[in-house]
Amino acid sequence: MTPGAPRTDTAPREDGPALFGPGSEFHALFDDPRWALALVRATVLEAAHPQVGAALLDNSTFVTHPWRRLRNTFFSLRRMFSPDPAVREREAARLNRLHGRMSGSDGRGRAYDAMDRATRAWVVATLFESAVTMCRLSGQPLDQDTMERMYAEYRAFLALLDGDAEGMPADVHAFWPYFDRVVAHELENTEAARVILYRLFDDLPAPALFDGAPTLWAAGRAVAGPLLGAVTVASLPEPYRRRAGLPETPGAEALMRSAYLAAGLARFLPQGLINAESVIRLLSLDGGGEDPRARAVAALGGHVKRASALLRLLNPLDDAPVPDPADAAEAGEARRSAGDFFRRVLDQTGDGHLDWPDLAAMARELATRLDLDEPEETRLYDAFAAWWRELQAALDTDGDGRVSADEYAAAVPSLAGPALIRVAEVLFDATDRDGSGSIDADEYRALFRTAFHRDLDVTEGVYGRSAFVGDFLSFMSARRTGTPYDPLLTDA
Amino acid sequence: MRAVPRHVACVMDGNGRWAQRRSLPRTAGHRAAETTVIDVIEAARGAGVEWLSLYAFSTENWGRPGDEVDYLMRLVRRIVRKHAPLLLARGIRCRFLGVTDPRIPRALARDFADLATLTGDNRGMTLTVAFDHGGRRDIVEAARSLIRDGVPAEEVTESRFAAHLPLPDTPDVDLVIRTSGEQRISNFMLWKVAYAEWVFPEVLWPDFRAADFLACLHTYRRRDRRFGGLPPRTNGEPR
Repeated sequence: MTPGAPRTDTAPREDGPALFGPGSEFHALFDDPRWALALVRATVLEAAHPQVGAALLDNSTFVTHPWRRLRNTFFSLRRMFSPDPAVREREAARLNRLHGRMSGSDGRGRAYDAMDRATRAWVVATLFESAVTMCRLSGQPLDQDTMERMYAEYRAFLALLDGDAEGMPADVHAFWPYFDRVVAHELENTEAARVILYRLFDDLPAPALFDGAPTLWAAGRAVAGPLLGAVTVASLPEPYRRRAGLPETPGAEALMRSAYLAAGLARFLPQGLINAESVIRLLSLDGGGEDPRARAVAALGGHVKRASALLRLLNPLDDAPVPDPADAAEAGEARRSAGDFFRRVLDQTGDGHLDWPDLAAMARELATRLDLDEPEETRLYDAFAAWWRELQAALDTDGDGRVSADEYAAAVPSLAGPALIRVAEVLFDATDRDGSGSIDADEYRALFRTAFHRDLDVTEGVYGRSAFVGDFLSFMSARRTGTPYDPLLTDA
Repeated sequence: MRAVPRHVACVMDGNGRWAQRRSLPRTAGHRAAETTVIDVIEAARGAGVEWLSLYAFSTENWGRPGDEVDYLMRLVRRIVRKHAPLLLARGIRCRFLGVTDPRIPRALARDFADLATLTGDNRGMTLTVAFDHGGRRDIVEAARSLIRDGVPAEEVTESRFAAHLPLPDTPDVDLVIRTSGEQRISNFMLWKVAYAEWVFPEVLWPDFRAADFLACLHTYRRRDRRFGGLPPRTNGEPR
C-alpha cells in the first residue's frame, strides 16, 4: 500500500466495517440476483472501452467457454475480497501476472496493454457504477454513506491490483464527472461489445448441467437470449447508446426496469436461499471436492440426464438418421474428429483460428486450476509458447501467422512434437510436489481434485512420468475422448 | 418346494414358425412377440423374480436376410420407445447386453442408452435384454480385460474372471426357458448358465403367456423335490 493513500488501507477501520471480508458492501452483492444483470452490463461497458475491447476480443475465451469464465471470475473476485490479506495479495499477484501477458494491437493497429493503469481503473469503475445503477434501477437506491463506503471498497480493490488507486478519482463526487467523460468521449461501439450484446447470448453454449439436454437448452436460450440483450442495452447510459448506435426498442425500458425490479424482489426470499456459489457450482456440475453437497449436485445431474433421456424417448419417432456425430463418442472408445477437437479444445477463443491467445488461454486455465505460483507458471507459459512455435512452423502452410481448422486437419500427426512433450513434463513437475519422479496416489488425487474437479479411483501404485506424459499426449494428439482431461479444456 | 428363481432367462424362439403356420411373413411373428415380452415381464415381476433376461438378438442372427434384420431393428426401436414410460413406472431397471456391432443403427443404440439411463436408478426387477449378444464373445472379452489389467495367471479364479464379464453384477441364471421345443444353448450367456435348470415348453414364443411362464416357474420349483435329500441351496448364490 502506498503511504499517501490512507483510504486504500485494507485493515479494518475503527469507525466502520472492513473494506474486505464478510462485512463489506461488496460481499453483500455476491448472492444478489441483480448482480447477474449488473455484471453483464458492466462487462459491456468494459468491452466498449477500445483498449479493453481489443484485449477481450484477442484473448478472452468467454464466447466459447462462458461458464468456465464466469466460474473463474467468481472465485477470483471472492479471493480478492477475502478477509485474509495473504489470499488477497496472492490473487492480486496472480491477476497481474495474467494480465501482464496480454498485450497486442487491435484491428486498427492501436496498441493495447492489459496492464495499462487508466484502463484497469475503468474496469473497476464500471463495476462500481453498475452496482450503484443496479440499486437505482431496482428501486432501492443506495444512501450517500453506503455509496461512499462502497466506492472506498472498489478503490481499495484497484489499489490491491495496482499498488495505489490513483487511476480512480479520490471520492464519489469526483467520480461521476470522470465516468460521464469516459462514456461520452472514450467509449466506442467496439466489436467486443457487439459480441457480448448480440452474439454471446444467442449462441450461449449449454453449461455442464444441461449438456445432456441440448434441445431444452436451445429452446430456453431462444427466448432468454434476446431478452437479456434488450435488457442490457436499455440499461446502458444514454450517451453511449447514442454514440454506439444501439437500437431503442419500444418497451425495452419497461422490460429492463421490470427485470431489475423482479431480481430486486429476491430480498424478500429467506436468507441464504440464493447462494451464488452453489448456483455456479451447480451449473458447472462441480461438486466442490469432499463437500457433501457434491452428492446432491451429482444427483441433480443424474436427474437432468434422465429427464433428457425420457424426452428423447418420448419424441415422435422419425426415421431420419441421427445427425450429431458427438453421440457416437458415447458408444465407447470413439476418437474425436479433427474438426470437433479443433473447435472444442484447441480454438479456445472461438474465432475459428488457432493462434497464440488460444494456447495462452489453455496455459492460463491450467495454471489457474492447478493453482500454480511463480516460477512454475512462467515455465508452463514458456512450454506452451514453445509448442506454439512448433505448431506454427509445422501447420501454418499459408503463412498468415495462424492455423486454420483445415491446416490443422491436414497435418494432425505433427501435434505430438517434442514441445508438447515438454508441456506435459512441466505439468508433471508441477504435480509432483515432492519431486520423487513419480506422482503418488495422494498427489494424483490432489491434481485431479484441484485441477479437474473429479474424484478418481487410484488405490494402488504410482503414476510415472512416462505414463502421465503418454496420457496427456493421447488427449492432445490422438484425440481420444473420455480422458480425465476432457472436463478441463472442453467444458463450456 | 424351492424358492422362486432369482434369475430367469428366456430364449424367445419360434416367431418365424408361428408366422409360417399362419401363412404370414416371418416379420409378423416378430411383431406378435411384443405382446408376449410385455406379458412375461409383468408375470416375472408379479412372481417375485428379481432378474429377468431376454435373448432378443444373437451375434449369429446377423446372418438372417437383410430385410428381416432391418425390420427387427425398427421393431425393437419402436417397442423400446413405446414401453419406456411403462418400464420406468413399474420400477424396472433395463439394461442391454452386447450392442457393440457397428451395424446397429445409431438411433437404436442411443435409445438403448437412453432407456438404460432413464431406468438406471430403479430398484425393482432388473431386465437384461441380450441384443447382439454372444456368450463366447463375452468370455473372450473378459479374458482380454484380464490380460489388459495384467492379472497374473495364478491369480485368475472363477470369481475374478466373472468380475470381468460384461454386467458383472448379474447373478448366475437359475432357470432358462426356451420356447418352441428347441433344446439348444445357442451361445447364450454361456458363463452364467453353468448351473441353470432348463425347461423347454412346446409352445411358440408369440403364444407364450403369463400362465405358461408361471407353469415354468412351477416346474422349476418342483424339480428340487426330486433331488430331495441334498442341502437346499439356490443356484446362483455366490459360492
